Amino acid sequence: MDVICAGKRSITLKINGRERSLEVRPNEILLNMLRERFNLMGSKYGCGIGECGACTVLLNGRAVLSCQILAISVAGQEITTIEGISRGASHSSHAGTAPAGTLHPAGTLHPAGTLHPLQAAFIEEGAVQCGFCTPGMIISAKALLDKNPDPNNEQIKEAIRGNMCRCTGYTNIISAVKSAAKRMLKE
Amino acid sequence: MKNFKYFRPKNLDELLAIKNELKEEARLLAGGSNLLVYIKEGSLKSGTLVDIGSLAALKGIREKDGYLEIGAAETIIDIMASPVVSEKLPFLRESLRVFANPLIRNISTVAGNIAEGSPIADTAPLLLVLNSEVVAASITGRRNIPIDDFFISLGKTEIKANEVIITIRIPIPETGRGKFVKLGLRKGTSCSVVSVAVWLIANGRGVEDIRIALGGVAPLPLRAVKTEALFRGKILNEHNIGELALEVTNEITPITDVRGGAAYRSEVSAALLSKAVRECLGMEE
Repeated sequence: MDVICAGKRSITLKINGRERSLEVRPNEILLNMLRERFNLMGSKYGCGIGECGACTVLLNGRAVLSCQILAISVAGQEITTIEGISRGASHSSHAGTAPAGTLHPAGTLHPAGTLHPLQAAFIEEGAVQCGFCTPGMIISAKALLDKNPDPNNEQIKEAIRGNMCRCTGYTNIISAVKSAAKRMLKE
Repeated sequence: MKNFKYFRPKNLDELLAIKNELKEEARLLAGGSNLLVYIKEGSLKSGTLVDIGSLAALKGIREKDGYLEIGAAETIIDIMASPVVSEKLPFLRESLRVFANPLIRNISTVAGNIAEGSPIADTAPLLLVLNSEVVAASITGRRNIPIDDFFISLGKTEIKANEVIITIRIPIPETGRGKFVKLGLRKGTSCSVVSVAVWLIANGRGVEDIRIALGGVAPLPLRAVKTEALFRGKILNEHNIGELALEVTNEITPITDVRGGAAYRSEVSAALLSKAVRECLGMEE
């Protein structure tokens, strides 16, 4: 029988395509691990009780709330954060700290990487207001488009039902998801 | 925050052994959407987190002997995506569409939803109208608990301290139509103010049998058996559905809380019941 683990335990998991090993406490929250241990600051802590969606990440391709999941229980699994979805990005743990000012109007983040079509569409459609919900919104939208590349408005609304935008910019967010879908279908 | 231990059982025997040894101190972690809130808000300060989220023995959705059997660690999303559920009980799939939101559905489980004995667990009215059974296991064996006996009081279920829910069994109905309606404060993510599930077996508009269950209107999710008896045998029409539905207010004991007043909950219960019955009959969609 496996021993009951009282102190820290070593786990290995994949974060944004890179294998990572670290020691975690039994009650360490996945979101805190991502933010504090890997400096992946894109995912946000909002309500803490599973109602706002600001902490949304992909777990094995499914959108989940990283503040509702223990780091220890995703050992061996695959996490994708907002920092990991831009194309050709270095996937480094510091990718998320690039200042917004480095954005090029054409949508290039950095010579090393290109924005994901969802990220570019959010900028173009003015779907970012205060920005706090944006990483979670984009992750939920990505989970949708990965399964359903051509969603209608109702399907988009359903997919982002767990993500709150308190600037209430939902109309532009839905437009952005539609526009990104169109762009991705053409590619 | 330092008093937690973690254990991931490799098989059912390990799970039952640790549950038997630690009893209530073993906190089962499947989706964790409730448990993690308790840890963060500090209402749960210690215990051994027993991670059953990926335990193969608690997975699987299958048809067996006329029952739909759902493993306790199956997520809501996997139940909704299951071809067996779609074929044998589309009512369950459709009803789960209003359960929380996609982010929660991706991790949470039916067993976890009912295990806390919450009167607003959205799956409780569904399981009640479907005459489901909860299979509990301990080191001494297994037993099937009829859902009618499962909820005991607010926060308390029939599951003993050394037991674990391993399967939800739902008899596959041969006839009838179901409808689940829920009123929350908003569409996404919100807890139910009132929820109503109906399973109706009708001949035209004549009621052969009906089962009605409600959440959010009593300390327990409950079957409205008196109202069911009033409906039985009636030929339903535009007028008497609403009148019969109003009778449900006599057998519920709603409370006033942040999500709504008692009088409001009563009125909403009757309205939702009326709507659910009408939808079962195809009178509105």
